[in-house]
Amino acid sequence: AWSKPSVREI
Amino acid sequence: MSVPALLRGVRVKQDTVRDMPVLLGPERALMLDPIGAAILDRVDGERDLDGIVVDLAAAYDAPADVIRGDVEAFLSDLADKRLLEMRT
Repeated sequence: AWSKPSVREI
Repeated sequence: MSVPALLRGVRVKQDTVRDMPVLLGPERALMLDPIGAAILDRVDGERDLDGIVVDLAAAYDAPADVIRGDVEAFLSDLADKRLLEMRT
């Protein structure tokens, strides 16, 4: 399902 | 028409240690979730935002207006981080 994309800084 | 494109030296790579897609830029790395990776799969410097949204709406069977809002926010965040540009 579609969900809000997220990024996490490494 | 706006066409998103990763800046020079920025690329998506599969991190074999974490087994997750990672967006690599100069001196920084961002872990992508599957949706973020799906968006960037379609960012090739050729396809415009409308085309990307239509494609994602079909792939995820979700309303295009919801997807457009999320994609625009996601891409503008990456543009703020100087990893991507929106070409017009």
